[in-house]
This record gives sequence, C-alpha cells and structure tokens, in this order.
Amino acid sequence: MKEMLSGILVILGTIFMLVAGIGILRMPDLYTRMSATTKVTTLGIGSILVAAAIYFQELSIVARALATIAFMLLTTPVAAHAIGRASYLIRVPLCPQTLRDELYGRYDPQTHLLESAPLYELKLQLTNLHIERLKIPDRASISGKNLEELQIRQQYGVTVLAICRGTHVIPNPDGDVQLFSGDELIVIGTPEQVKVLRGHLLTTEQANLSHDQAK
Amino acid sequence: MSLASVILFVVLPLIGLAIALAFVRFVWGPTLPDRVVALDLIGALGIGMITAYAIASNLPMLLDVAIVIALLSFLGTVAFARYLERRGKL
Repeated sequence: MKEMLSGILVILGTIFMLVAGIGILRMPDLYTRMSATTKVTTLGIGSILVAAAIYFQELSIVARALATIAFMLLTTPVAAHAIGRASYLIRVPLCPQTLRDELYGRYDPQTHLLESAPLYELKLQLTNLHIERLKIPDRASISGKNLEELQIRQQYGVTVLAICRGTHVIPNPDGDVQLFSGDELIVIGTPEQVKVLRGHLLTTEQANLSHDQAK
Repeated sequence: MSLASVILFVVLPLIGLAIALAFVRFVWGPTLPDRVVALDLIGALGIGMITAYAIASNLPMLLDVAIVIALLSFLGTVAFARYLERRGKL
C-alpha cells in the first residue's frame, strides 16, 4: 500500500519535472520560462519528498522531508522574484507577442525603486517637472529651521509638497513647520532645481562636519 | 514491478531527460539570466533525482544531500540576481 502510494507520487513528481524541462526549452522568453520552471519544480520536488516521507515512515525522515518542502516553498518564490526583477532591470527582452507590460517605465532607472501608477502617469503629463523625495541627512544645518526661514521656493524655485516624518505625513506644510534630520521632503521642480537643492542639503552636512572637527 | 525498479528504469531516466533539456537551455542562453534559471532548474531536478534514488536504494541519509543542494542553489540564484542587477547590463 505504502509502495503504491509513494510510487504514484514519485511518478507524478517526475511528470512535473519533465514538464519543467520542456517548459524551459520551449517557452518564448525568460519570464515565461521562469513561471514554468519554478511552479513545476516546487510541485515536483514536493510530491517526491512526500513520497519519501510515506515510504520510509520514520519520524526523522518525515521531519526532514517536510522541512525541505517548507524550505523550498519559502525560497523558490524569493529566488524567482530576485532573478526576475534583476532581469527586468537589465532589460532582458520580453517575447514579441507580449500584450501588456504593466511594469513599463515604473522602475526608476537610477534607484531601482518601483513607483505606483498615479505618480508615474503624473510624471508623464508633467514632462519637464521632477517630483522627488529628498531625505534630510543627519547633522544637516537646516535641521530645526522652519520652512519660512529656509525660503526654499524663493532660493531654489522648488515647492515642498509634503514632509514625511516616520510614518506621519504633513501635506502642504505651512511656513512655520520645522524640519528635522531624518525627515523626507517631497518636492516638485525642474530636474535642475531639484538637483541644486539636493546638492545643497549634502554640502551643508559636510560643512557642518568640518565645522565640528575644527572645534 | 517493484517501486525500486520503477524508479530506476522509468523515473530516473525521465528526470535525466529533463536535466538534459535544461542543459540545452543552459548552453543556448541566449542571455545570462536564462542560464541562471536553467542552472537553478538543474539543481532542483537534482534534488528530485537524489530523493527518488534515496527511495529506490533505501538510503534515507541521501535526503540530507538534497537539503544541502536546495540551500546552495537558492544562495547561488540570489547571488547571481544581485550580481546581475549591480552589473546593470545584459
């Protein structure tokens, strides 16, 4: 009986594994190949390991088989996601029959961060504008000052849309809102203006450091 | 037909065929991620093969080898993914 059951499971697993081999050869692009191989191998290895657990019927073997199944179920999606994301970022081509690429343009090519749709579509409409999160570094000289003193719009032409402080968000901040190190400013301006502001945040930090060392 | 002979004469050759197909993709490419995925699949098929052989030969300690291969192939794939992303080109 147990031989029968584990034999059926082993043959089932073998069929899955053969399908994975055919899939990786026949599928048209990397992403479809991955979808074929990862799902099918998880199922295939899973059924062969369950077959081993049924066949040996010892506590230590069953525990080992179940632990391996749990490990595979945890790691296979992670590995597949890591390799798929890296492949998408280095532009491995999709197959020509692809109808819809929902990730298109949503990865920031510099930071490799994924953006949700609304901000991306807003960026498409405002072609010459740049919306960016700027983090105020530790020991920045602007820390503790409020927006009215800093005059960011007058000096840099950049508007602060919101301030993120931890999980708390201050939308459309007034002039009397103080800034602290670790806050994130969400700013809008031309790419050059935002770049100048970002450079200014960094240089004040370095100036501060050398000032401290001089003391 | 006993379970051992089914595994030895049917299951292992079929998994071997799957490994051969994955190896064709490994050699063919055409991109490096394709090869990484093929290598990952070869590792996974190896785990299945070792487990099936453990049943056929009644050697349960071979399951430990399967666990080690699962761990190594996961680490290898993640390391390759990181390397590919940092290299930044096809």
